[in-house]
Amino acid sequence: MSGLFQEAILISIFAATLRTMTPLLFSAMGELVTQRAGIWNMGVEGTMLMGSFIAYFVATSTGSLWLAVLAAILAGAVMGLIIAFMTATMRVDHFVTGLGLNLFAGGITLYWFQSYVRGGPQPSFAGFEDVPLPFLSDIPFIGPVLFSQRLLTYAALFIVPAIWFLLYRTRYGLELRCLGENPKALDVKGLSVPVRQYGAVMFGSAMTGLGGGFLMLAFSDRFIADFSAGRGWIVVVALIAGNWKPKGVLMAVVAFALLEAIATHAQVVGVGVPRQLLLALPYLASIILLMGVRFRTGQPAMLGFPYSRE
Amino acid sequence: MSLLPSIKEPTPANARKAGTEETPLALRVEGLTKRFAGVTANDGVDFELEVGEIHCLFGENGAGKSTLSACIFGFCTPDAGQIVVRGQPVEMHSPRDAIKLGIGMVHQHFVLVPEFTVLENIIVGTQKSGWRLDDRAARQKLKSLCDAYGIEIDLDAYVWELAVGRQQWVEILKALYLDVQILILDEPTAVLTPDESARLFAIMRKMCANGMSIILITHKVAEVMQSNRVTVLRKGKAVATVQTKDTSPEELARLMVGREVSFSVNKSTVAPGDTVLEVSGLGARGYWNEAVLNQVSLSIARHEILGIAGVAGNGQKELFEVLSGVRWSREGTIRLNGEDVSRLTPRAMMDRGVGHIPDDRFREGLVGPFSIAENLILGWQRNAKYRSGLFLDRGKIAALSKTMMARYQIAARDDEVPVENLSGGNAQKVILAREFLHSSGLLLANQPTRGLDIGVIEYVYAQLLQKREEGFAILLASEELSDLFNLADRIAVMFKGEIVGVVDPKTATVEEVGMLMAGRRMEAGR
Amino acid sequence: MIRIERRIDANPWWTAGTLVAALAAGMLASALIVATAGADPFEAFRTLFFGAFGSQKAVMTTLIKSTPLILTGLATVIAFRAQIWSIGQEGQVFAGAMAGYLGSQILAGLPPLLFFPGVILFGVAGGLLLGGACAILKTRFGVNEIVSTVMTNYLAIYLLSYLLAGGPWAEIGDGASYQQSVPLPAAEQLPLLFGTKLHIGVLLPFVAAICCAVMLDRTALGYEIKALGTNPVALGHKGTNIARTIIAVMCISGGLAALAGVIELYGVGHRLKADNLVGLGYAGIIVGMIGGLRPLGTVLAGLLFGGLASGAVSMRVVSDIPASLVPAMQGIILLFVLCASVMARYKIVRGTAS
Repeated sequence: MSGLFQEAILISIFAATLRTMTPLLFSAMGELVTQRAGIWNMGVEGTMLMGSFIAYFVATSTGSLWLAVLAAILAGAVMGLIIAFMTATMRVDHFVTGLGLNLFAGGITLYWFQSYVRGGPQPSFAGFEDVPLPFLSDIPFIGPVLFSQRLLTYAALFIVPAIWFLLYRTRYGLELRCLGENPKALDVKGLSVPVRQYGAVMFGSAMTGLGGGFLMLAFSDRFIADFSAGRGWIVVVALIAGNWKPKGVLMAVVAFALLEAIATHAQVVGVGVPRQLLLALPYLASIILLMGVRFRTGQPAMLGFPYSRE
Repeated sequence: MSLLPSIKEPTPANARKAGTEETPLALRVEGLTKRFAGVTANDGVDFELEVGEIHCLFGENGAGKSTLSACIFGFCTPDAGQIVVRGQPVEMHSPRDAIKLGIGMVHQHFVLVPEFTVLENIIVGTQKSGWRLDDRAARQKLKSLCDAYGIEIDLDAYVWELAVGRQQWVEILKALYLDVQILILDEPTAVLTPDESARLFAIMRKMCANGMSIILITHKVAEVMQSNRVTVLRKGKAVATVQTKDTSPEELARLMVGREVSFSVNKSTVAPGDTVLEVSGLGARGYWNEAVLNQVSLSIARHEILGIAGVAGNGQKELFEVLSGVRWSREGTIRLNGEDVSRLTPRAMMDRGVGHIPDDRFREGLVGPFSIAENLILGWQRNAKYRSGLFLDRGKIAALSKTMMARYQIAARDDEVPVENLSGGNAQKVILAREFLHSSGLLLANQPTRGLDIGVIEYVYAQLLQKREEGFAILLASEELSDLFNLADRIAVMFKGEIVGVVDPKTATVEEVGMLMAGRRMEAGR
Repeated sequence: MIRIERRIDANPWWTAGTLVAALAAGMLASALIVATAGADPFEAFRTLFFGAFGSQKAVMTTLIKSTPLILTGLATVIAFRAQIWSIGQEGQVFAGAMAGYLGSQILAGLPPLLFFPGVILFGVAGGLLLGGACAILKTRFGVNEIVSTVMTNYLAIYLLSYLLAGGPWAEIGDGASYQQSVPLPAAEQLPLLFGTKLHIGVLLPFVAAICCAVMLDRTALGYEIKALGTNPVALGHKGTNIARTIIAVMCISGGLAALAGVIELYGVGHRLKADNLVGLGYAGIIVGMIGGLRPLGTVLAGLLFGGLASGAVSMRVVSDIPASLVPAMQGIILLFVLCASVMARYKIVRGTAS
């Protein structure tokens, strides 16, 4: 293989990594906020799927991609509202809530989708295109990798420091982290625990909705059943593997994205491994990754425990 | 409010002196009633708090002290009655309302975030404006508060680094930082050494001198005697309010229990027999890999009760966990009747006749939704005694629970009642019944009287002493020194995971034990 | 003034009432969803229920459709009662079908009395191993069981996809693009019950439900499962090996789910194909939860949802409403039932305001 070809492949893999990373990163950073606030949201997959479907629906029926992005964010927030109602108000077990929501989202998106299509030809749309940044994209190697991406990918790169700042440098962040560690400490100061948990869950889910929307609008031109294909679960794994810290979560997300990019490219290049087994790689990797993560010092102490005064 | 002549507003300097004729009231509670799921926790309670006084709420567990304070702090809303703060009737729906009225509370179980620094714990949720975290003003204010009250604490230390006793100062600072006028302290000395308790009382008096008023919840008579007034609660009712200087410990105890307390412990003199348990050089580590047990050595013989004294969190729990097989030690050996049992599972220890009464009975000793009958066989559910073929023998189990309920005077409608609905005393009796039934030789009892009424405590004493007479070796840890002085043949004192001294209760004084609990080792030669 | 207060004693009538209310609310919300998609809800429900219970043939289809749902529902019951949130039923159904199919290749030619128990054992072993693997991931490596079971679900699905698309079990020839195996010979299909269209596998869920009920209620293992689900700390401190109990629970749960897969293969689909299996595991979670995590309730919920699945076909044909309404309805009803399960622990009292 020639050097030029190898370099092209590498550029393509790294560029794909960034692209693949984008939806995961939006969602992971949102869920980081949710989980630091003590809600162990297992409904990420369903929320992302809902975001994808709504983005598809709005994109094909209005033709506006940015309207679709907005709708996906809203859809995520609505899903967050349901999760918050069930966990913070009804105090249903967090895991069970998430499971229920995933099943709900899987069913209802499929139903809406089939009702929308009704056996006719499936509407499609033209997705987001790369926006090469002037001058920067001309830098060899780095340019095509970093600076020839979708607009939202650039945004995703800014989200990590933004979330870090929110969590560690603002008073809201201190309160959020307090919720996850000991919500009673806020309650006894007269601050409402549910109000803040609603906020955190809805923010996180809106971000996941955005991730689902981007997944739809940048990677595909049509919806299929189980479109998000486990990416929401990858986000859950990334949080655990990243020890609930912004930098750690970022690294976990990059690792998954890189793996997926390599798997996709391996198909194209044609290695002697069946396609399905390559596709299964991220799932296998996440199990192995979790086996290695033994110490969870960053896990919020009250993560997953419904709060009540009793 | 500001337009009214503020005669009821406390003015720090002269609040107490000016009010000798008619001391202004900081708080008045009238006819407060609160019910929880059919249980009346407070029944028409009247209560007054004068400005600048330390007013004790005194009573047994379940007498309604915590409920009353929770209502005053806005944590729960009373079903009937009224709360009047500085002459204004108020309605509180959350602690937010209470804090606005200048009411603060230090909870019995600290409400701290171990992962936060002291400063973060204090300022979280108090900053009202601005979105960036701003602690400059807070630092200044806290520094002057610490100076004023003589509290020494590193604001940037993480709370998990602090000893339990020092965490109490963080809680106090949290309340002071909020500029409270009325402070409720719920059993504040439970985790303090006698020395630290004295310092706490000094700080409380300083607060009162500055015009604050304090409600002190306690069940320890010695602490009540340091207050200005006492209100005694019994079964949800306020039975008396008296000036402390006009009363005596005996009278208070009688008021609390509602009858004459004759605490005569009948301890027979039996000579200790063969050694049952021998522990040497035990060491264990905790979650953060910190040493929780260090070079612990002890031995207990038949017919002997070895008491363990110490402030909570000094390794007692870990010691019991290691001895019952729940936690593995890093070093040292445990010998039971001569056999090395250092690395055995709970199962193996139970099969060797070791009974264990855990300190957190609902978490570690009982399965809440299970019935009394089911809890009596917890841990023995696979035993052939309770089986017929593949199945659990319900008849046999029911018969057993009937017998046990009668023998141990467990008050419940029937044996199908889930134990989570039982009172602490009855739940403890279920554990006693199970452990006595299945153990022989060694009994590990950690805080067996915690949270129990005096009647039940007497009962537990009698049971433990009877086992001692039967030949059991008993390890008994208690935070109540009276338990140990009443029951133990020897008292070992734990501090920071070590045994810092062993004393004979017949000759030692409470002060001596208190010194050891604060970590002062016995001089060599004793 | 009306207040909500915690109950001390569970009242079975109140519990049942909240459940019925949740089902009704779920139906109502589903009707709204149908309306959002521009269809007539009354028409949808009419054809749905007629297709489920309206004729002898419909009832038989319902029985066949509910068979795997009850089994995966029971798998859910066993795991969730122990508060082990395994959602690996989906992958275990696939594993059961794959292992069962492997069994047919090894045991081919045996007399039916040996062949069927043999392949069923193969299938059950497949799910049992998959469940057990996730249990060991949890107990040895601390991997959250929700995450590990989701991941193994995907692994099982991709494995089947590999085996059937160009892999060793793919049907060669015209059907190759359909991702399926060759059909099983008639001798290897489960026999039918006395001249009906029902294969004998429809009896299994009922037997399994009784076994589960007795196990939970009357045996030491059942005692341990319930204690694990309510207070694992006390159970462990009192000498029960928690890790072993978790492994036992997930093996049993995996085996039950796998049973659904192997019965589906030999009784209904008669060839290995992902479309026949997909969704059975996830639906089973809903069935088990709506059944109140009780074996008997699960049988009833399974019959209800089996009915909906069978009615969905006629609904699509008659009213042109997508059959995927059924999973959507299941999800909606589940959310309501979850809220109801919390409400069941409270009571509404008329308080006397001061």
